[in-house]
Amino acid sequence: MFDILIRNGKIVDGTGASAFQGDVGITDGRIVAIGPELQQEGRRVVDASGLVIAPGFIDPHTHFDVQLLWDGAAKPALEHGITSIIPGNCSLSLAPLKADDRKTLIGMFQQIEELPPEAFTQAFDWTWEDFAGYRAAIEPSLAVNVAPLVGHSVIRLWVMGADAQQRAARPDEIVAMQDLLRECLEAGAVGLSTSFVDVDENARPVPSRFAQFQELDALCAVLGEFGRMLQIVPEFYDTDITIARIDQLAELSLKHRIPTTLSPVFDNRQSPNNVPRTLARIEEQTARGARVWPQMQTRPIDISFSLLRPSLFFARLPGWIKVLRLPVPERMIALRDPATADRLVADTGEDGGERLMGRLVVRGGGEAPDHLVGRTLGEIAAERGEVPARALITLSLENDLSIGFLAANGGHDSTERIGPMLANPLVHIGASDGGAHLTSFSTYGDTGYLFSEFVRKSGALSLELAVRKITSDTAEIWGLKDRGLLKPGFAADVVVFDPQVIARGEERPAFDMPGGGMRYVRDSIGIDTVLVNGEVAWSKGSYSDSATGRVCELT
Amino acid sequence: MKEAVVLAAEVAAGHDGEVDLVVTLSYENGVAGTVILDADTAFEIMQSCGATSSADLVGRAWHEILKGI
Repeated sequence: MFDILIRNGKIVDGTGASAFQGDVGITDGRIVAIGPELQQEGRRVVDASGLVIAPGFIDPHTHFDVQLLWDGAAKPALEHGITSIIPGNCSLSLAPLKADDRKTLIGMFQQIEELPPEAFTQAFDWTWEDFAGYRAAIEPSLAVNVAPLVGHSVIRLWVMGADAQQRAARPDEIVAMQDLLRECLEAGAVGLSTSFVDVDENARPVPSRFAQFQELDALCAVLGEFGRMLQIVPEFYDTDITIARIDQLAELSLKHRIPTTLSPVFDNRQSPNNVPRTLARIEEQTARGARVWPQMQTRPIDISFSLLRPSLFFARLPGWIKVLRLPVPERMIALRDPATADRLVADTGEDGGERLMGRLVVRGGGEAPDHLVGRTLGEIAAERGEVPARALITLSLENDLSIGFLAANGGHDSTERIGPMLANPLVHIGASDGGAHLTSFSTYGDTGYLFSEFVRKSGALSLELAVRKITSDTAEIWGLKDRGLLKPGFAADVVVFDPQVIARGEERPAFDMPGGGMRYVRDSIGIDTVLVNGEVAWSKGSYSDSATGRVCELT
Repeated sequence: MKEAVVLAAEVAAGHDGEVDLVVTLSYENGVAGTVILDADTAFEIMQSCGATSSADLVGRAWHEILKGI
């Protein structure tokens, strides 16, 4: 008798092969049988009639390092079908870290993840310094599987202290970093992350950005001893520099025989050659035998802003720029001045900003009154008898400028362009940033969006290819042992979903961070059941109390 | 003497959900390329070169604009 029998579903096994109708038998956390009409019974039976049975999805770019200390499910990632995550990206991990350096790292984490301070002071006991200690701290309560990266910035911080953010490393310090990285890899790290872009809370470059090439080369030599991944954040705002980084990654990949990945890569109509040029170089380097994987997100990028900070949303409106660049007290005085406000409204054109601002949506989670949240500025303006530009000013003043506006689908939003990019075998679907940017936008539901937008709506990917791209491809790229396929002997990470319904929910604010802190989330749609290592972790809208997640074994 | 000039300056969504400025340049050798600037940088360069809006950057020499960075 199986522990769990998932019966009568459409099996999409993660290989990319055609789906077929059948059952999946699970015992002792492993898949033990797959086929039509399995004869054994199950102690627990999941009816998958009309649903897809697929391997659990794997998210290769997350920042759940801190959240995992109080939430082993990395909510809401798990309910979207994510059964394995890779935290520690962008040069930042929570280990190795000396106690004296915690304050420094907290500043960097808060900058990138936007976690409330209570996340670091109330939510967990900081019991570790080394990587093995962090692993021991998260492992007992994991409900998802974790393959953690170790951050280059923290390795520098450990070895160089405050100098890590001031200078290049000496040869003896590079050797010490190599030893420390080796220790982390022996403790289960899946690779090293570094960044050429990120800054701390004071806008200073993070420590990894002070490294010279010989330091990165030396660390990659250690990665080569284990065959582990190098993840980088390239200068994604400049195509030419990104291409130079691809060349650099290719050299490191070939020299040290390691896989490498860069994220993010995204498409905008304003720079239409960016992705094509990037992928052309990836293709050339792959042909040379290099392993360089560009990560691309599925979701469009939404623009959000308030009048508290000058935004380039107003870049073509000289009058607005002038006012918004004033210090906040003077800015409010100017916005309250009727003559100034009239001029600003006039600047937006004869339609009073209808075309430019009418479709902006008032965001929740800030100071916006509940009855306005989720509504368009055009609707609200009409109700108030104002034009949209005037309503934007008055609503902002009524809320001390702390009211957020959202322009949905501001970039990376052309389904026709992005679909073929995601289907490209050289593109690694990822870059969700799960667990980061908490108060700016939701980083959850990208997998649902993959199916709703690029499988069902545009047909750019078949169901089987979409599943493969976020399961076995990911497991293979990162060297996750026995994961990513529905195959006897593999870990029973399974997601059961409705292929006609799966999607991401609307973005909404949730106040579930330590200290009541706010973040934006999206609920899952169409996910029926999620199993992690053979236990039901989420089913029909509810989490179980299972804690069967593991730190992933590596190939 | 030929020099790099701004062909276009358009706003676009940035990775962090804020609005970036995508500056398209025509280089001395005729090649066109883009540089993406965040809000702080874009406003600084606009101020330093006397541009009142992003549209006002078009046609300006890139080396003049760079002085503001």
